[in-house]
Amino acid sequence: MRPDSPIKLVSELLDLPLLDVEGDYCGVVDDVEFKGGPGKELELKALLVGPGAYRTRLPRWGMWFVTKLAGDRVARVPIDKVRSVSSAVHLECAARDLGLHKSEAAAAKWLPRWGAL
Amino acid sequence: MNPLELTLGIMTAVGGFVDISELVFAAKAGSKFGYALIWVFALSTIGIIVFSEMCGRVAATAKQPVFSLMRHRLGLKLGLATLAASFVANLITCAAELGGVALVINYLTGAPYMLMAVVLTLLIVLSIWVLPFQWIERTYGLLGLFMITFAAALVAIHPPWGHIAGGFVPQVPHGLSKKELLTFGYFVVAIVSAVMFPYEVYFYSSGGIEEGWGPKDVLTNRLTALIGMGLGSTLAISILANSAQMFEPANVDPAIPGSAALQAAIPFGKWGLILALMGMFFAVAGAAVETCLANAYSIAQFFGWVWGRHKKPWEAPRFTITWIAIFAIALAIVLTGIDVMTLVEFAILFSILVLPLTYLPLLLLANDRKYMREYVNGALAKALGWFYFAVITLAALAALPLYLLTSGGNG
Repeated sequence: MRPDSPIKLVSELLDLPLLDVEGDYCGVVDDVEFKGGPGKELELKALLVGPGAYRTRLPRWGMWFVTKLAGDRVARVPIDKVRSVSSAVHLECAARDLGLHKSEAAAAKWLPRWGAL
Repeated sequence: MNPLELTLGIMTAVGGFVDISELVFAAKAGSKFGYALIWVFALSTIGIIVFSEMCGRVAATAKQPVFSLMRHRLGLKLGLATLAASFVANLITCAAELGGVALVINYLTGAPYMLMAVVLTLLIVLSIWVLPFQWIERTYGLLGLFMITFAAALVAIHPPWGHIAGGFVPQVPHGLSKKELLTFGYFVVAIVSAVMFPYEVYFYSSGGIEEGWGPKDVLTNRLTALIGMGLGSTLAISILANSAQMFEPANVDPAIPGSAALQAAIPFGKWGLILALMGMFFAVAGAAVETCLANAYSIAQFFGWVWGRHKKPWEAPRFTITWIAIFAIALAIVLTGIDVMTLVEFAILFSILVLPLTYLPLLLLANDRKYMREYVNGALAKALGWFYFAVITLAALAALPLYLLTSGGNG
């Protein structure tokens, strides 16, 4: 499926994993952003990735818990960076170009880089 | 299909089949009810084969692990609830397995249980850090083949094979009191739970992706699930039959996990005992690895992190920190001094409660032609899938009342 072909957003895009151009997982489609509004044509503008994007999808107590545990950052993935959508969303650039690598990079600082076969 | 790879995969599945809960419940089932619960092991084994084959096929064709697809199917809220429930179930199971390996080394060497729990957890963590995925899976699985000692012990004691064969026919023994009937019911539920633990499916499907399965591996997946798990369950059934033959007539209640090892000591003496304990050690340590990784896989897949032990640990940092943290929490549970048998009881109970939630999305996915294309569930897989979904739903509904009414199967 191409990114500009009509898709049933909620059932086909939301909650799909994102894979960057190198085939690495770099988040999940947590929410979507539209251009347009009432009476105008609605156009998909970006995918929103990160725990901050749960805000509209969880009850307030759930969001409080998520924010305490994982923060509330959100990264935007402009729709023109999406190459294809199947059982995952494939991006046409690297995770770091869109700021999707920050949490992994922060976690990597805690680990030694030796000893594994 | 590479025959050597297939053989190794099957042997790994055989050696990795039994875990602490199956060990405990097989031994107890035989001593309490003779051969009458063999059919539950057989029935549940077909169930785990059906679901493992299905999730291996999903992993090989949709190229996405079960938990990624589960979130897409269930949505964020129900997905998070499933994740939390399966996390608790797998964590308790992991703690039970860690306690189990510490107990086995305690039996073998007399070394203090708590100290052994710490040392062995560190060794297991080290093994996952050092070894890539396939080595981890093969090392524990192949060394778990020492469990064959239990099958050899069964042959050596010349059991009444006719009675064992009779155990495969679904039955409820005659003449049980109401209390015994409830205990029998609890054992049925516990065995279904122990054989069909949710972690097995997460581990199996993620393992398929770790090994880079594709549509060409659909047959390998089918044979590994069918033959590997089928043969693996004969080991659990051997423990049950040994128990029925040696423990039931003497009124021995295998109240600690180590009692099962005595089954090999009776026909084979000291070396039988040592081999059986070695089998138990590697099988249970392998299950500790699987439960912990299954939990880390689930979390990483749910949130879209880089995951897998085909990558170096620092190349999937959040995944690595998660599995180390899970081992640390599981070890902390063991170090509270809680009895391993109690942990096994809780693991069984929590797992059966979350089983329907984890299997339903898998079944819906494998039935979905859009994802699966020509590898979609056929009529047989679909019928068996729904049948087993009904079985685990019934077992989940009955689990808590039976647990409370029978004080965890203790009458």
